[in-house]
Amino acid sequence: MKPLSHWFRDTSQDLGLRLIAALGLLLYLVFIVVPVFMSLRSSFTDENPLKSGSNWIGFGNYSEMLHDSQLRTSVVFTLLLAAGVTVVANLVGLAFALLLDRTALSYRVLRTVAFLPQVVSGVIVGFVWKTILTQDGLLNTVLRSLHLVHTPVDWLGKPHLAQFSVGVVVAWVLSGFTTVVYLAALQNIPQELYDAGSIDGAGAAQQFRMITLRMVAPATTISVTISLITVLKLYDVIQVLTSGGPANATQSTAQYIVKMAFTNDRFGYASSIAMFLLALSAVIALSVTSILRRREVDL
Amino acid sequence: MTVQSPSARRPALRRPPARRPVHGRPAGAAVPRRGRRRLFGPARLALAVVLVLVFVSPIYLTVVNAFKKEDDIVAGPATPPVHPTLHNLSTALNRPDHLLQLGLRNSLIVVVCSVLLLIPLGSAFSFWISRRRTRPRAVVLAVLAAGLMIPPQVVLLPTIRILTFLGLDHSYPGLILSNLGGGYFSFAVFVYVGFMRAVPDEVVEAARLDGAGGLRIWWTIIMPLVRPATATVAIFLSLWIWNDFLNPQFILGPLQGQTITTGLYLSVGQFQMDYGQLFGIMFLAGVIPVVGYLAMQKQFIAGLTAGSTK
Repeated sequence: MKPLSHWFRDTSQDLGLRLIAALGLLLYLVFIVVPVFMSLRSSFTDENPLKSGSNWIGFGNYSEMLHDSQLRTSVVFTLLLAAGVTVVANLVGLAFALLLDRTALSYRVLRTVAFLPQVVSGVIVGFVWKTILTQDGLLNTVLRSLHLVHTPVDWLGKPHLAQFSVGVVVAWVLSGFTTVVYLAALQNIPQELYDAGSIDGAGAAQQFRMITLRMVAPATTISVTISLITVLKLYDVIQVLTSGGPANATQSTAQYIVKMAFTNDRFGYASSIAMFLLALSAVIALSVTSILRRREVDL
Repeated sequence: MTVQSPSARRPALRRPPARRPVHGRPAGAAVPRRGRRRLFGPARLALAVVLVLVFVSPIYLTVVNAFKKEDDIVAGPATPPVHPTLHNLSTALNRPDHLLQLGLRNSLIVVVCSVLLLIPLGSAFSFWISRRRTRPRAVVLAVLAAGLMIPPQVVLLPTIRILTFLGLDHSYPGLILSNLGGGYFSFAVFVYVGFMRAVPDEVVEAARLDGAGGLRIWWTIIMPLVRPATATVAIFLSLWIWNDFLNPQFILGPLQGQTITTGLYLSVGQFQMDYGQLFGIMFLAGVIPVVGYLAMQKQFIAGLTAGSTK
């Protein structure tokens, strides 16, 4: 038990610091914690910006969600995109990391360059890829000049092809990030492990499987989790690239929330989908993290 | 698009350990480096160069085509500019709506104000919380961690309503204020807390015995010690806030002056544009973050990797 005077002295000395810290926490409360609860509350109402006041409709929005085929399409697409992009971006990242794991200047330059897709804004990424992927775009120009295709491929115009194209672009954006994460992990593997491995007669493949893959497991946890979260809330790249089209085939759940809120003016319904996305993100992130963590422990 | 970087879970006042030299091994030594003896020298480098170039080819296209005439782009999009022209860039800069000038200026204002406020907020908060007892600290940090996972679409509508209530909707102060509170704050706190754990208690206690108050200790002792954390936070937050699209789009609204991302989206998306113009605009809009990244890439990579490995 500290004497009372201790707290008084402490308070007077730390007042300025406490004020700044409290301000930070207050802003977090006002712009994250309170909004989440406001969103939760709205999700039980028919709130609409065009009319004042709102009615409590209980689980009305949630039961509507069950029958909303556009929502279902968007959730399926979002989950497939998240899974596919996470797998591809992590494989590409690991491969790039293995390839670029050298100290020579040329490799360091290549590393710097490989991260560039992460630096450019999603809007620019979207526009640039759009010029590449449209029917009279640069990719078709190149393919036709190489006589690989005769009629231009409509990369963004056919539902399934557009979904695939969006996946490629998003995986492209994320791969620079995963590369850097895996590179960091590779650089922390002690050389002694490989030395010991080769003394024990382990070949390159065996060393890769038994040492490299196991030692990058913690990095995999982080890289996979962040990739999943990033795709689940992705908005800008898809919005610019396809605006969710054709026929809503590439509409992510995050985009659908924005569309419901600002195009259809259905704040209440948008909030209930937002709550769903929040729960989905939390469940996926937490379960994937714990599964991958357990894998780390096993090793 | 933003990637929430891993929080720096490990204190890292020191720089990441340097790689042991590859060339230190005698030629032909029996011990292969990391079991990879098949891909040697030039072949490996050539493969790396080709793959990385293919990977960044969309960026390459933007750069070379920004300096080519429309006809040359259509004739050979991948060829380097044989007859380089600044026409695309000057057309982009002379647009009657001053898209680039205004957008870059507005983005700069938002980024500088947000980051300059987030750094003291995040760092003072981290210093304060890292001196608290374990359990309350863990609870507060867990609540903050949630902020990194919450999709921004979830909090967007209420944020706009709160800003409307404060009379700050559709304004730059409103946008900056909402930046201060959200996931950016969480990120700053996680990086700073990781670094501050490495600061020995004795340093703080000694200063306290000398009569220094909390604010003074934080500013004159802690802040210089955690300079690498400040660099990490400043670089990442600048990039994310610069590239942010959702918040500027809906908090500023279409009637206000645009940041560069929303300005591009609204102006460029509205009409069909020739490739030369488009690449010129993209080049100029992207050049600031890219140059910033290239200038700071050492700190950038160090910050990104600080938290991603154990």
